[in-house]
Amino acid sequence: MNVIVCDGLVRHFGDVTALNDLTLSVEKGEFFALLGPNGAGKSTTLHILTTMLPPSSGRAEVAGHDVVREPRGVRNAIGMVFQEPALDTRLTGRENLRIHAALYAIPRRRVDAVVDEALQWASLEEAGDRLVRTYSGGMKRRLELGRALMHEPKVLFLDEPTLGLDPQGRRHLWESIAQLRGRGLTVVMTTHNLAEAESCDRVGIIDQGRLQALGTPQELRHQVGLAGDATLEEVFLALTGRGLRDEDAGPRDRLLAFAKQGGEHTG
Amino acid sequence: MTRARAAEEHPAAAASPRRGALEPRLIGVFWRRELTRWWRDRSQLFSGFARTVLWLVILGFGLGAALRDIEGYTYAQYILPGVITLNVLFASLQSAISLVWDREVGVMREVLVSPAPMTSVALGKVLGGATISVIVGSIPLLFTPLIQVQLTPLRLLSTWGVMFLMGMLLTSFGVMIATRMKTFEGFGAISNGVILPLYFLSGSIFPIRGIIGGVGFLDIPADLRDQLRDVGIYALGGGWVVQLPVWLQVLVYLNPVSYLLDLMRWALLGFRQLPAAADLSVAFVLPIIAIAIATRMMNGMRRTH
Repeated sequence: MNVIVCDGLVRHFGDVTALNDLTLSVEKGEFFALLGPNGAGKSTTLHILTTMLPPSSGRAEVAGHDVVREPRGVRNAIGMVFQEPALDTRLTGRENLRIHAALYAIPRRRVDAVVDEALQWASLEEAGDRLVRTYSGGMKRRLELGRALMHEPKVLFLDEPTLGLDPQGRRHLWESIAQLRGRGLTVVMTTHNLAEAESCDRVGIIDQGRLQALGTPQELRHQVGLAGDATLEEVFLALTGRGLRDEDAGPRDRLLAFAKQGGEHTG
Repeated sequence: MTRARAAEEHPAAAASPRRGALEPRLIGVFWRRELTRWWRDRSQLFSGFARTVLWLVILGFGLGAALRDIEGYTYAQYILPGVITLNVLFASLQSAISLVWDREVGVMREVLVSPAPMTSVALGKVLGGATISVIVGSIPLLFTPLIQVQLTPLRLLSTWGVMFLMGMLLTSFGVMIATRMKTFEGFGAISNGVILPLYFLSGSIFPIRGIIGGVGFLDIPADLRDQLRDVGIYALGGGWVVQLPVWLQVLVYLNPVSYLLDLMRWALLGFRQLPAAADLSVAFVLPIIAIAIATRMMNGMRRTH
């Protein structure tokens, strides 16, 4: 049974075509990775699937709901972890989770139990009452992952989940994600970390807005005629003929840089 | 892991609940969030006190030493509603502008992908900003014994009411600006480009219809003072009559804050310069229109094109 269906998705931003005729489907319970360099269209795909951005043409369905016509049905069925933390740093971990409970209308009598469970799952029981601004990058990610699971979503979207984490935080988070397997949850993540893509059920390689290849890591190697011990990096290079590209800093990057200098404060 | 089991045992929990646009719980959660964030950022409370001391005590008594009075009120008394307005301006716009931050690196993205009705989130935010406005706006009231203004319960309640309406209007206005802002590198542009013009052009620190220089030697006789008031000019000590330039008058009349401030001065001191009907209609109609527009614009953050 397909939980996600994309049919001819196109997205333009002005003259730029960020996504060009993307067609793919993801089965229930699958771990699926979208692999590609910066600006390839991975985030655009994720934004369309999470109803944050409508496609210019084509259609997409998540958990049986059309992303344009039934956004609320989609939103009820998904959990999302963003590329940069979407947390309120002036609130505690617990307070952030309680906001999430209200957003998803989790019944009041269950809120305490659900919040405790999420903190426990994120191994943040001790830190739950501390302000999020005192958390490390890894702790923030675990909190967000725990939060994204609070309302029992059918599909979990992870946008570059381990980006910016130190090796230890990366491993810890990856172990948490691996735990989700076998729970019937479908996971879709974007990454340009090849080792992470390697451990997924299927990988879609995307570049310049187009899906270049799709299959299990093993199938992808065969597709481009490489030996079984070849890395996905080699597959990627064979398909696209180049490595990663840099992007210019947009307004958002400038804001993030400002955040790193001193935080929100506006005084 | 117990979560999967919990889902089986409580299938209702996983089903999507029916939700209208107005959800008291959600409004309450976002109202409270706004207040908690404000309370934890002590620099905002400190700024509120520093601003009050600078404007009300230092400017009030400093300039008040040169100007004898405005319509029988000392200068410090005259600018008290203005200083409250300044505090409301800062509190509400600061609270509203944090939306830029929220949208790019904060909680707002989490709201966008959630099934929650944005209208309730927006209302919580605006009501939160208005509540903070009342708190910060009340700081100058602590100084009323110093400047000899008597606070009766009625005066206090009506002043709080005006502060709340002003807070709703200005927070909504700030939300409109915030939804249009792409990036945000400090509060300076808002402070100098929005707050201070609205403040200076509201009759906060000089009377709206005219100023009479107060450094003359002669007192204006009482009957002349009455005649001047009939044509809308307020005598300030003794000295020369100076009308505000027309362009300045126009700007003051166009500024909605002028009417709210006039209403507050009426509530607090019993002294008013603009028609009561204009004051009341601006105070009660404009905040509602502003909230409607701000809510609509926040709904627009969920892109549909």
